[in-house]
Amino acid sequence: MFRKILLAYDGSEGANRALEVGIGLAKIHGAELWALAVQENLPRFSGTIDEVQEEKQFANEQYGKLLEAAKVKAKEAGIELKTLMQPGHPAQTIITAAKEGKFDLVLVGHTGLSGVWAAFLGTTAEKVSRHAPCSVLIVR
Amino acid sequence: MEQVWYTAAAWMGLALLASLISIRIGISVALVEIFLGLVAGNLGTYFGSALFQPNAWINFLAGFASVVLTFLAGAEIEPEAFRRQLKPTLAIGILSFLLPFLGAWAYAHWVSGWTWQASQIAGIALSTTSMAVVYAVMVETGLNETELGKLILAACFITDLGTVLALGLIFANYDYWLLIFTLVTGVVLWRVPAATRWMLARWGGRVSEPEIKFIFLILCALGGLAVTARSEAVLPAYLFGMVVAGLFVHNKVLIFRMRSITFALLTPFFFIKAGTLISLPALLASLGLLVALFGVKMITKLIGVWPMCRIFKMPLRESNYTTLMMATGLTFGSISALFGYNYGYINQDQYSILVTVVIASAVIPTIIAQVFFQPREAGSVGEAELGN
Repeated sequence: MFRKILLAYDGSEGANRALEVGIGLAKIHGAELWALAVQENLPRFSGTIDEVQEEKQFANEQYGKLLEAAKVKAKEAGIELKTLMQPGHPAQTIITAAKEGKFDLVLVGHTGLSGVWAAFLGTTAEKVSRHAPCSVLIVR
Repeated sequence: MEQVWYTAAAWMGLALLASLISIRIGISVALVEIFLGLVAGNLGTYFGSALFQPNAWINFLAGFASVVLTFLAGAEIEPEAFRRQLKPTLAIGILSFLLPFLGAWAYAHWVSGWTWQASQIAGIALSTTSMAVVYAVMVETGLNETELGKLILAACFITDLGTVLALGLIFANYDYWLLIFTLVTGVVLWRVPAATRWMLARWGGRVSEPEIKFIFLILCALGGLAVTARSEAVLPAYLFGMVVAGLFVHNKVLIFRMRSITFALLTPFFFIKAGTLISLPALLASLGLLVALFGVKMITKLIGVWPMCRIFKMPLRESNYTTLMMATGLTFGSISALFGYNYGYINQDQYSILVTVVIASAVIPTIIAQVFFQPREAGSVGEAELGN
C-alpha cells in the first residue's frame, strides 16, 4: 500500500518512536524509507554572513550525526534509510518535501511545543496532518 | 572613578544573554544585542545608572568591531558570480544605493528640516542593503546557490560599496591628508594581497596568531589615516576585505579564528552600544517621522530596483522578491548612524529614529518577501535528492 515513506526526524523521543514504526512499515510494505531533518532556528535577520554560515555548519554537524545514528538503527533492522537535511520552518519543509518527493505517507512523532504554546500555535504534527498531500501517521 | 571590571561584566553578561536568546529563538545575535542594549540603556537612564553608558574603552571596542565587521563583509565577495552578471549586478546595486540615498537625504532635509549633514547621514544609513539578512533568507531556501541568488548578493555588495564610499568621502576634508590617505591606501591595496599570502604561508597557523595581527595592523593603520583625513575607517577596511577575499575562501581556519575574536569580544560592544543609544522617549515622540523615513526607504528602493529587474527580464515574482531583498538593512545602516552620532552630525533623537528604521527594514521587507514573493525555484528540497 505504501511505496515511499517520509519520516520527520529530529532525534527526539517521539521521532525515535516514529523511526521504529517507519522501519516496521517499510518492511511490511516493501517501501522506501526516507528521513528528513529540518534545521530550524538558523539565525534570521542576521547582522553578518559569518553568523549564518557558522550556525548552518553547526546545524549540519548536529543533524548529520542524528541522521547517521538513525541510518545505523535502520540498517541493523535490515532497512536502507535515505536521509535529507533542509533548513526552514519544520511543518512547511516537511510538507514541501512530501509533495516534491511524491511520498504516500508522512510519519511524525507526537512531541514538540509545550501544552500552552501548542494551544495557540499547534504542534508540527498537527500542522503537517492538516496540510500534507498524503496520509500522515502521528506516532505516540 | 569607574570600576572597569563591573562595567565589563555587565556588558559581557548582556552579550551572553543575547547569545542564549538568539540560539533559543533563532533571531540573529546582532538584533538581540541591539534590543537588550536598548532595554538596558533606557532603564539605566531612567534609574540614573551609568553602567550602560558607552565610555572610551567601549567606544574603541565598538569602533574596532565596526571596522572588522566591514572587513569581513568586504571579504565575502564572489568575483566569479560578479563577473558573470556584471551589467544587472552593477545597475541594480548602484540604483539600490543611489535612489534611497538621494531620497532619504532630500526628505530628511527639505521635509523634516534636518541639517545638511544630518540629512546626508540619513541618506547613507537608509541607502544600505543587508547582505547578511539577504544571505540568511537565501540559505533557508537554497536560493544562495542559484543564479538569481548570486546576482542579488553581488548587487548587495555594490550597494554596500556605495554606502561605504559615501561614508568615507562625503565628510572627508579635501586637503593633503586625504591625498596622502588615498595614495597610501592605493599602494597598500595593491601590495597587500601578496603580503597577506606570504604572511599566511610563512607564519600562518601559529598560536601567537601573526596573520590575524597582521590583518589588524593594516586595519588600524589605514583606519587611523582615514580618520586623520576626516574620512571613515570602514572605507579602507571594506576595500582591504575585497582585495584579500580570494585568500579567505581557501583559509577556513583563519576565518574561524577571526570570527571567534569578532563575535566574542568585539561585535557585542558594537551592537549593544548601538542599542543603548536608542532613546525610547525620542522614538515615541517621532513615530510619524519613523514611519515616513521607512516609507521613503521602501519607495526609493522600489523605484530604483524594480524597473531594473524588469529591464533585465527578471520574471515578475522574482523582481518583487529582489526588490524587497534589496530594501533590507542592518549592520551598515547601524554603522552609518553611529558614525553620524559619534561625530556630532546627528543628535541622539535622530540616531534613535535612523537605527529603528534600519532595524525595521531588516524585518518587514524580509517577511513580506518570504511570505508573498518566494521565487518558484526556491523552497525546494530538490527533486534529484528525493530520487524523482
